[in-house]
Amino acid sequence: MSEEAGTRNVPESAAGVGMDAQGAAVIMQQAKERAGSELRVRRPLLFVTWGLALLIGYGAMWLSVRGQHPFHGPAWQTLLLSFLLLLIALVVTAQIVDWAASGVGGRSEVRRGIFALAVVAGYAALLIEKTAMASAGASRPVQAVLGATAPMLAAGLVFVATSAVAARLNWARLALGLWLLAVAAGGAWGGPVTTFAVCALAGGGGVLLMAIIEPRLRRS
Amino acid sequence: MSEEELDQAIHVPARLRIMVTLASLPDGDDLSFTRLQDLIGLTPGNLITHLRKLEDTGYITTQRNGSGVTARTAVALTSGGRAALDRYSTVLRELLDSASPR
Repeated sequence: MSEEAGTRNVPESAAGVGMDAQGAAVIMQQAKERAGSELRVRRPLLFVTWGLALLIGYGAMWLSVRGQHPFHGPAWQTLLLSFLLLLIALVVTAQIVDWAASGVGGRSEVRRGIFALAVVAGYAALLIEKTAMASAGASRPVQAVLGATAPMLAAGLVFVATSAVAARLNWARLALGLWLLAVAAGGAWGGPVTTFAVCALAGGGGVLLMAIIEPRLRRS
Repeated sequence: MSEEELDQAIHVPARLRIMVTLASLPDGDDLSFTRLQDLIGLTPGNLITHLRKLEDTGYITTQRNGSGVTARTAVALTSGGRAALDRYSTVLRELLDSASPR
């Protein structure tokens, strides 16, 4: 071990004397609660962050395309706002995960890396695909529907696929993933204007709702 | 049934905290020495003493990676350690049940 400096050994007797069964049970409970609260990612905070980002980002885009004839897509200011919201959400997510995962290595560390890779690679591929579709002559409404619903589709698939990765099935993640897939599929049928409203209210709202439901599901 | 039946390698407050903290991690995960120290609240010297004892019994493993300022000591529970903590919990429950008024 590297932390040899300042070694002060405690006599065995001083460490263990006087602990009865009741005391041991209390220590176990306290240690379990402490580890649980310190090492667990605060998911409700993540859900609130992403729920607000989706609600505001998609909501702003919906307001900017509402009533457009002909449809020419969201205003650049709303695209900029969405990009900034995405950046803020990513920074907040990294911070929240770092609080819990600091010092934790092994399989979870690899899993987190693959999860991040799936999200980054998935969204990069979507962006490239959208650009390719535009250069192939896809209309503005088609690009808007794809641009709005594809991120929901990608996030939904990642959530559904990763819900079974842990030792116990993560019901909250599975439910959220299926919900986002339904939002993506349903939103696409709404057309280029309504799709933004569906993604804002059903997508962002669903993620916000999960901030309330997830702790209850975890406790049950 | 008496408290002597409890695994004496674990039945020490600091070591019990270490074991429970490491058991809260999923199988295959480890915890850095410094984070474990934060969670347990022991001095480095005391923590090393208890970790050595648990390592001698085969309940945990410690592995040092890197060198200098990037050095990291990873502490992990072994499968034997997890099983020992399960047994300890079972015996403890039985002791508490037998002591509680009926």
